[in-house]
Amino acid sequence: MNEIFEIFSAVVGTFVLGAFSILFGLSVKGIDRKISARMQWRIGSPLRQPFRDVRKLLLKESVLPKNAVSWIYNSSPVISLASLLTILLFIPIGSIPALLGGSGDIIVVLYLLIIPSIAIIIGGYSSGSPFSSVGAQREMVLLISYELPLAMVIFTLAWRLNILYPSYSALSFETFQKFPIWNSVSFLGFIGAGIFLIVILLVTTAELAKVPFDIPEAETEIAEGVYVEYSGRNYAMFYLADAVKIVVLSAIIIAIFFPYNLSPLLSQYYPVAPWLGYTIDILFFMFKTIIIAIIAMTFLRTSLARLKIDQIVKVYWFHLFTASLIAMILIALDTMGVF
Amino acid sequence: MNDTTYTIPVGPVHPALKEPIELVLNVEGEKIVGVDVICSQVHRGIEWLGMNRNNTVQNIYLSERVCGICNVCHPYCMVMAVEDALGMEVPERANYIRTIVAELERIHSHLLWAGVAAHEIGFDTVFHYSWALREEIMDTIEYVTGNRVTKAIMMVGGVRRDIDKDRRERIEKAMEYYLQHFHKIEDIFLHDKTIKMRTRNTGILTKEDALKLCAVGPLARASGVKKDVRQDMPYGAYAELDMRAITPDMYTGEIVGDVYDRIIVRLLEVKQSVELIKGALENMPSGPILSEKNYVKLLSILKRAEGEGIGRVEAPRGEDIHYVRLEKGKESFLSWKIRAPTYNNVLPWIPMLLGGEIADVPIVAASTDPCMSCLNRVTVVDEDKNKKYEITKDYMHEQSLKKTRRLMRNE
Amino acid sequence: MAMLTEVWKLVFKRPFTNRFPAKYAPKNVHHFLRRVQEGKEKIVPPVPTPPNFRGKIEYDMDKCVGCGLCIKVCPTKAIEFRQCEKAEILHCKEGVKLATPLKIRIYVSRCCFCAQCTEICPKKCLSMSSEFLLANEDKMAKELIVDGLH
Ligand code: SF4
Ligand code: SF4
Repeated sequence: MNEIFEIFSAVVGTFVLGAFSILFGLSVKGIDRKISARMQWRIGSPLRQPFRDVRKLLLKESVLPKNAVSWIYNSSPVISLASLLTILLFIPIGSIPALLGGSGDIIVVLYLLIIPSIAIIIGGYSSGSPFSSVGAQREMVLLISYELPLAMVIFTLAWRLNILYPSYSALSFETFQKFPIWNSVSFLGFIGAGIFLIVILLVTTAELAKVPFDIPEAETEIAEGVYVEYSGRNYAMFYLADAVKIVVLSAIIIAIFFPYNLSPLLSQYYPVAPWLGYTIDILFFMFKTIIIAIIAMTFLRTSLARLKIDQIVKVYWFHLFTASLIAMILIALDTMGVF
Repeated sequence: MNDTTYTIPVGPVHPALKEPIELVLNVEGEKIVGVDVICSQVHRGIEWLGMNRNNTVQNIYLSERVCGICNVCHPYCMVMAVEDALGMEVPERANYIRTIVAELERIHSHLLWAGVAAHEIGFDTVFHYSWALREEIMDTIEYVTGNRVTKAIMMVGGVRRDIDKDRRERIEKAMEYYLQHFHKIEDIFLHDKTIKMRTRNTGILTKEDALKLCAVGPLARASGVKKDVRQDMPYGAYAELDMRAITPDMYTGEIVGDVYDRIIVRLLEVKQSVELIKGALENMPSGPILSEKNYVKLLSILKRAEGEGIGRVEAPRGEDIHYVRLEKGKESFLSWKIRAPTYNNVLPWIPMLLGGEIADVPIVAASTDPCMSCLNRVTVVDEDKNKKYEITKDYMHEQSLKKTRRLMRNE
Repeated sequence: MAMLTEVWKLVFKRPFTNRFPAKYAPKNVHHFLRRVQEGKEKIVPPVPTPPNFRGKIEYDMDKCVGCGLCIKVCPTKAIEFRQCEKAEILHCKEGVKLATPLKIRIYVSRCCFCAQCTEICPKKCLSMSSEFLLANEDKMAKELIVDGLH
């Protein structure tokens, strides 16, 4: 009986979570557009514009190009969206623990994060247009570039926590949730973690393929690159995937760096009902997501020019790699208790 | 061409191009190994209209529409050619007003270009920002000439509107505004690291290539060719204003000939234009603005006129040339030839793009500030044979000889 | 890196865009205009036009002598002759006679607002107004044909 209930709640939870992340992701997109418009000294579209866009895209025809491999071409948007929704099942949201959490879930998330990019790459190649082929190549290079710093951030921090608390499973969001990284390090480690935060924010920009790292799409160069042939429902799927991706990546950053919740703090002063606590924490989570989206997405994309592919590789493999290495050494020194 | 090379068509319709032209790129990965430019996608038959449908006064407004952005230099050039043919003197004050309006246009065109160039490298904030700053000059133009875009101020033998006290104050206010904001524009374009990363050492045009391919305007000046019609063959009031061609070494001390240098040249030209306008406003003599006030009389003079003339004007994009031939009893031109600056500036695309990356295409193309509608003259299509260049040099030469002989026999 | 700080300043500035006719484009312009007329919604005024703006052309039929000079110089061929409906007493070489005088009709949808016709007209019966909201789906709409009758 208990098992059935668990399965049932997981299924319902998945649906609720999916709906929440799509709606919330689209709202964040709306906020992003509004703020970036204000940063550009203009009014910008109303907040509900992304919802209108999706509605319109869903009404449009999905055109299949003549050279496209139809089944790959049609399935890659679905794969992309589905894998992102799956990631959400592993990440705690607010004070609600992850639906499918457990030991080693970070590894699963890291792998699942690659799938949308791969889906875009094969979707791009299968659409049979030179622009999308170039876009797919670029997406591949981008993927290779940012994976290294990302892995360094996550594994270093996991290693640090594992040394401190060996009895907890190392690569699990639960551990991060229990022992916020800032509380577990001294001064040197604090600086190291700060550097890591900057690195992961920059990685987020690339994962979302936004200026300055938006080379796979690069409107003026290759005319939206990988998406050039997509239209209608297929493109709407990619659009939703992009929205969900914002939530997912912010949720990962929140889970690793800012796992704080408001309800424990509040309950010290007032008695907080459990449902109220959950609501407050979810609202707080949404607030944190928006802040991260504004910093990693809106701010960077409005204040920088698009880089070229070799420059991007240099940024990730040279600048960010060096930064991560320094942060790693700082954290290692901190662990050994040198100072 | 081997199997790792493949072809990317940029254009005729592509987000990087604001007007139709086709670039066929052979790329290896991201590297460009072959470039071909195919022009003649927008042929509008303007010269034909000028030679068959319109009279000279109507042609002024037609030439205004050769290009929406350079809508002073084309009519300016045309009326200069007609005045040359007529041997007509232009009043001094009219020359000053023409100069001021042409420089107002240069400011607006360069700011517009700056926005477009920023958009090409994905920097939309700068795009919106520089267009917001451009609004001031557009309002000034509207105040001075009566409309934001088409100025309709040129007339054979002078200008149609005077710059009175109100208009003068409006222009002075706008110039003050740009002097104040210039350091900001400079800061954004010349000191931004990402812009520099994208534009330094991309699309280099060497001085030899610029000379060989007859590049004109800011493109040539950025490669170190000190040529500017305003300096070399002063027209209007430029001779009195002491105008010097701008090269990038005035700012950085070296000439690279890349996109960054072109940005420098254009931005410095904005500042120079502001100073020219201020100087022109100060020195403007009083007097008439038209040498023939009565348009009816002017029309009959034009109808009776015989002869040919050439006008040369430095448009924001480079040297613009109009050739006009008038015949007695014919209201429209017997012959009208426009050589717009983009005509010269498209060929340098090839050496600039070769060896570059796909990512460079938009900004390199935009760095010449191309204006396709000005460029296209003739469209030769031979679809059956699928030939690209129907007219070879020899064929062209032969045809010209034939035509000359025919003309000589007639006379 | 000027933009890194500039964007934060711009966020708190009032957007540069002029909110004409409303902050967000109305879904249906006709519907919007109707509501404005009913007083239910407010229209944001456009930027005022300067003096001597070249807008929609105005024609004073009574002064016109039908000389056709405006037709001769109009670069877009927007003007054509029109026979007046009402016969008038005309003074000409042959003496006095009753005839329908020549007048003109201007198709504003073709006009390029060069103001050449207003300058050449010997009777100064043409002028440029400051009206510029002329967009219309119908090129032959009544507002876009100026013949001095309406
Ligand atoms: S203002 Fe209009 S009607 Fe008058 S001449 Fe110009 S185009 Fe023709
Ligand atoms: S409007 Fe003026 S120019 Fe035109 S026909 Fe009448 S009088 Fe002549």
